[in-house]
Amino acid sequence: MLLHLLVLAPFVAAILMAATSKEDPKSSSRLAFIFGLAFVVLSVMLIAAGNKATDPIEWFRIPGCKGPVYYYLYSHGLGAWMVFLSTALSLVALVSARVTACKNYRNFAIGIFSLMGAMNGTFLAADAVLFFFFFEAMVIPAAILIASYGGKESSKAAMTFAIYTLVGSAPMMVALWYLLTKADNSLLLSLAVALQSLPAGAQTAILASFLLAFLVKTPVFPFHGWQAITYAEAPAPLSAILTGAMSKAGVFGFIAWILPIFPLNMSIVSTMMWLGLATAVYGALMALRATDGKKLLAFSSMSHLGIAVAGVFSLSEAMLPAVLVLLVAHGLCAGAQFFLMGIAERMAGTRELDKLGGLSGNSPVFSTLFGALGVMSLAVPGTAGFVGEFTVLLSLWDMGPFAALVMGFSMILSAAYMLRFIQKVIFGKASGSYDNGPRTSGLEGASIGIMAVLLLVFGFHPAFVTDSLHLFDEETVEQMNDAGKAADGEEAAETDEDADEDELPQAMTPDEIAQLDSSLKANGFTDEERKSLITQVVGAEAALALESRVQAGLDAEASDDAKTNDEALNKEASND
Amino acid sequence: MTQLPLWLIPLFPLVATILLGTIAVISSGSKKGPAEGIVGALAVLFPALSFAVVAVLAFGMPEAGIRETLCNWIDIPLFKADIGFMFDGLSRIMLLFVTGIGTLIALYSTGYMHGDRGFARFFAYINLFLFSMIVLVLSDNLLLTFLGWEGVGLCSYLLIGFWNKDLSNCKAANKAFIVNRVGDIGFLLGMLCLVTVGGSGILNYDALSAFIQMILTGGHVEIVLPVLSLTGLLFFFGCTGKSAQIPLLTWLPDAMAGPTPVSALIHAATMVTSGVYLLARMGSMFALLPVVLDIITVIGMLTAFWAAMAGLFQNDIKKVLAYSTISQLGYMFMAAGVCAFDASIFHVFTHAFFKAALFLGAGAVIHSLAGEQDMRKMGGLIKKTPVTACVMIFAFFAIIGFPGFAGFWSKDLILERLFVSGPMGPTFYVIGLFTAIITAVYMGRLIILTFFGEYRGSKESEEHIHEAPASMLLPMVVLAFGAVFAGYLWAESIGVTFFSDTLAPVVGSAQAYAATLHPHAHVNPMIFAGLGTLAALLGMFIAYKVYGSARVPAAKGSSAPEGRKATWTFFFDYVHKYVGIIPVQVLAWICDVVVDKILQAAQWTIGAIATILGDGATVVQVRKVRLQVAFSIAGVVALVAVVLLTGGLI
Amino acid sequence: MELQPIYIQILALAIFALGLMTAISRRNLFFVLMGVELALNAVNLSFIGFAKTLPADMSVAGQIVPLFSIAVAAAEACVGFAMLILLFRKKESVDSDNYSNMKG
Repeated sequence: MLLHLLVLAPFVAAILMAATSKEDPKSSSRLAFIFGLAFVVLSVMLIAAGNKATDPIEWFRIPGCKGPVYYYLYSHGLGAWMVFLSTALSLVALVSARVTACKNYRNFAIGIFSLMGAMNGTFLAADAVLFFFFFEAMVIPAAILIASYGGKESSKAAMTFAIYTLVGSAPMMVALWYLLTKADNSLLLSLAVALQSLPAGAQTAILASFLLAFLVKTPVFPFHGWQAITYAEAPAPLSAILTGAMSKAGVFGFIAWILPIFPLNMSIVSTMMWLGLATAVYGALMALRATDGKKLLAFSSMSHLGIAVAGVFSLSEAMLPAVLVLLVAHGLCAGAQFFLMGIAERMAGTRELDKLGGLSGNSPVFSTLFGALGVMSLAVPGTAGFVGEFTVLLSLWDMGPFAALVMGFSMILSAAYMLRFIQKVIFGKASGSYDNGPRTSGLEGASIGIMAVLLLVFGFHPAFVTDSLHLFDEETVEQMNDAGKAADGEEAAETDEDADEDELPQAMTPDEIAQLDSSLKANGFTDEERKSLITQVVGAEAALALESRVQAGLDAEASDDAKTNDEALNKEASND
Repeated sequence: MTQLPLWLIPLFPLVATILLGTIAVISSGSKKGPAEGIVGALAVLFPALSFAVVAVLAFGMPEAGIRETLCNWIDIPLFKADIGFMFDGLSRIMLLFVTGIGTLIALYSTGYMHGDRGFARFFAYINLFLFSMIVLVLSDNLLLTFLGWEGVGLCSYLLIGFWNKDLSNCKAANKAFIVNRVGDIGFLLGMLCLVTVGGSGILNYDALSAFIQMILTGGHVEIVLPVLSLTGLLFFFGCTGKSAQIPLLTWLPDAMAGPTPVSALIHAATMVTSGVYLLARMGSMFALLPVVLDIITVIGMLTAFWAAMAGLFQNDIKKVLAYSTISQLGYMFMAAGVCAFDASIFHVFTHAFFKAALFLGAGAVIHSLAGEQDMRKMGGLIKKTPVTACVMIFAFFAIIGFPGFAGFWSKDLILERLFVSGPMGPTFYVIGLFTAIITAVYMGRLIILTFFGEYRGSKESEEHIHEAPASMLLPMVVLAFGAVFAGYLWAESIGVTFFSDTLAPVVGSAQAYAATLHPHAHVNPMIFAGLGTLAALLGMFIAYKVYGSARVPAAKGSSAPEGRKATWTFFFDYVHKYVGIIPVQVLAWICDVVVDKILQAAQWTIGAIATILGDGATVVQVRKVRLQVAFSIAGVVALVAVVLLTGGLI
Repeated sequence: MELQPIYIQILALAIFALGLMTAISRRNLFFVLMGVELALNAVNLSFIGFAKTLPADMSVAGQIVPLFSIAVAAAEACVGFAMLILLFRKKESVDSDNYSNMKG
């Protein structure tokens, strides 16, 4: 229920927002705030709830594919935290946009809610097609929001963004379709199994097209062409969501889809890791030269995500918690920095670094927050960023000291550009020709302050974040095993009555599990991770099998004609 | 008596930080600012409470020290770290003077910062610094030490750039942070090296010592020696950043842009000595690594000598003290390099007193001259500000190692240990002694230019010269007292070895191991004491001869040294510029101008191809509606024809 | 002589061809619309003609579809003429060759 609410309710909220008056931004902003807060509460509940899955609902069938596409949501620690980022940043964006007094606040809120729904869907989808659907759907509200609320070159930015990301994921669509024609259904495990049966060349081609989509989305050097202009031209609250939550879809894709499906060989892994490191250094160097505050933040965020990608492909045991903490820290920190840059732009009327300065004298609260978050983005110990970057550094160290050294270099550079940024914006003398736009509002300051406090809390007690990954170790695994056993029992009982038993969709056979297990092991997953992944997949399959069996049972009592039809269908489905 | 929990020590400054920070933010909107009385009281009270806790604990401390694990910090596969504290001989000494001098300097600052707009903000930073410094020395593992390590660096950044209206202050602050960051990466990688050797548990100091002991008893030193040497080098690189040694020393002279109490507290007494602390703390590991130790000694020696030479040419009173700090830190590293960790910590201890006294005295001088820092515009101040002058002269005697004063005991101890350290010992000793002479010269120059002779400033400013208020004088006097008597905690010639006894449980085994490698003959300490005294007297004599009667050239605008001296003393700035900054800038330029343009060109090419294809397709789309309808009908006919002829494609 | 179904189809084809030619060759939009109407009615005629070939109880289907078709044609004519009037107001012309805004 929680999962459905988080994915579908944002769209409902968007529709409800459309019902509010366009002329009355106050009331619509209140409504939007209430909705946003509710979603944040829901996402926190989701994190606390641990692993959850909905019942798979058959959605539609793609011509040429064997199995149906399911509407099937699944939440694990990583996805739940990403959902938290998306809801939390959306809430702050809704708060922040209120001060900017968008004339068209209502439409802004509609866009934000649809974006949030799409992002949540991306992070929670357990079905590859559903994932891809939401992955693409994210782009549309984001592009529309950029075009209609952005800066001077907003339409160009929106076009660049939309075309770049959609083109980037187009090969993935083809590859996914091709894979689906071979697989039993579009769930993770059957994709992985189907991939094993393909020739090596086809595997590589499919892997490349999957990788491309995520590389563009993250973005990783050299596919970052859309990023700087998009983040700079988008309205600041939206930039915060884009970098804090949406860009995580790329890294999330690497972890949740690439690693389990593909048997990666060492050359691909190390290529990806070096690409990530190149991104980290390149982003930092570009940030050193940036003259536009938002572009600087865009490159900084690119640099940090490069580190995250490098961490993912270090494939060490510590990878998953390390990257998760890094992503959460970066989401909160970079998001908050974009909000603050938006406030600076609003107050000063410019985002050129050379024209800014001296804001610490004008508005101390703002500059305190600005300085604090700038420092937090430097991964100073005691903040969540440190835990993330240190553990990623630890993972990279396993791949060789040189990789760690490169990452250390990017950390030094990050200090250089971030301190320059802080100095240019809040220190020195005010240039005097500011627009004196609205200052930080109370709610805005409080929400950004809460983000800073969260960073500190996670920095001193990262277990809040990392424990959500352990949640599916003990209880859930057993629970799922029980479900599987129950299904087995039922199966045994029904064997006599139901001759169609064999032709029903099957749960995993032990052979298949062993095959998957070995491929996962080859990819460097730890025992615990493997166990949980397999349990996750087996549980899903078992649930599916159970459902179709029940249906078959019901059908058996129906008329003869219907039964034959059904049988024929089932046969067809399982024979394909 | 139940023991006080250790976490109380860092808690007090932390609470003060939060309180004062809140006050600073809340009052920032109002015109008047917060009441200085309340803020000052809070700012002094909390460090004092912390000091009281340390004092109580220090007296009741068992021989082996107190260990306390607060909670788990990081717990992920491959890596576990706890937040735990360790209170033993070494951290007792460090904590005593960190909190003690911290309290005194907070008291001093209430006078010095009087009337400043950022009064509450300043004390929030100071308390945050004390918190970080306490965590640094109190933690029981390297990771938590690193928290304090970066924390003090951060506070140093905040306080150097405290007067942030002036961009040059901000640049100095940025430089300090970035240079420190370079060193910190060494620290981080050093930790990773250690983790490779012994798992994440080894970051705990006790576990590290046990591990080293295990290696020694097992006789496996050769196996781990390469990795450990790398580790040692990386950690030492981290120390050079924090303690301003070659090659990362350039930030400290620039750091004098901060308020003077900050220079006294952070850039003289406490933070910059944390590198020495770290070496002593990991002494058991460093004792195994002869190559690293030699590097440390040489680096320390070069730094001590070079900084002393550079100190000769400075005109800014604070810059002289900054270079002198670097030079003294060089002494401490030399001592650590010959495994005389107790001697180096002893010098840290005495140095904290006399250098803090010198800085506070300099602060009082600057305060009385309304911000003038150029020594060429001072002179004859002994008549106007006698108390300040006395404090500074006492501290001066301490730093040059005049017999009986604190520096005498610690510096002679270091020189003695250098001499007996091995075959290269006498060379080290001679250079160290020569550096001591230079020290006496430039410090003598400072004292003479500031306090003796005629006042060289303008007439109007002369009338405003006044002695500092009591809140500033009191800490100075206490510190001067320390500068005189702190050395008697370890005066071997008169039979007091309290200091080495208290450090023995921590660094004793390491030093014993090192001593077995270089068995040395017993030497008469009196000879060293005599030679040291001679060096101090000689230096003072030279200073008197050169600067006592010479006419000091009238000061022009800048207080920086002129001509070739300027380029020479800031030599390492040039090294950094050409080794670090310019390559990075070139790299950034290549990324921005070359790589980015190439990528954009590639994007543009793909876009252009798409556009051309699209244009080609639009050729078919003619302007006439009728023709289009005709086309579409022709298309339908063609489709039907195909279906009829082939029987359908599907 | 009985009316052969094929004659009806030939007539429908002729009318359809006429309508199509009108729609394509005339520049005046009124004539284009009239041509479209003509083509539609030819299709209706074709339906009726085929309905005649079926047995009586099933031929009703073929007779009902033209009714729908007529209704749709009426609506289409309505909308088409309304648009035409609007276009005329804008362009002062009913020449189809003047309408080429959609060209990229």
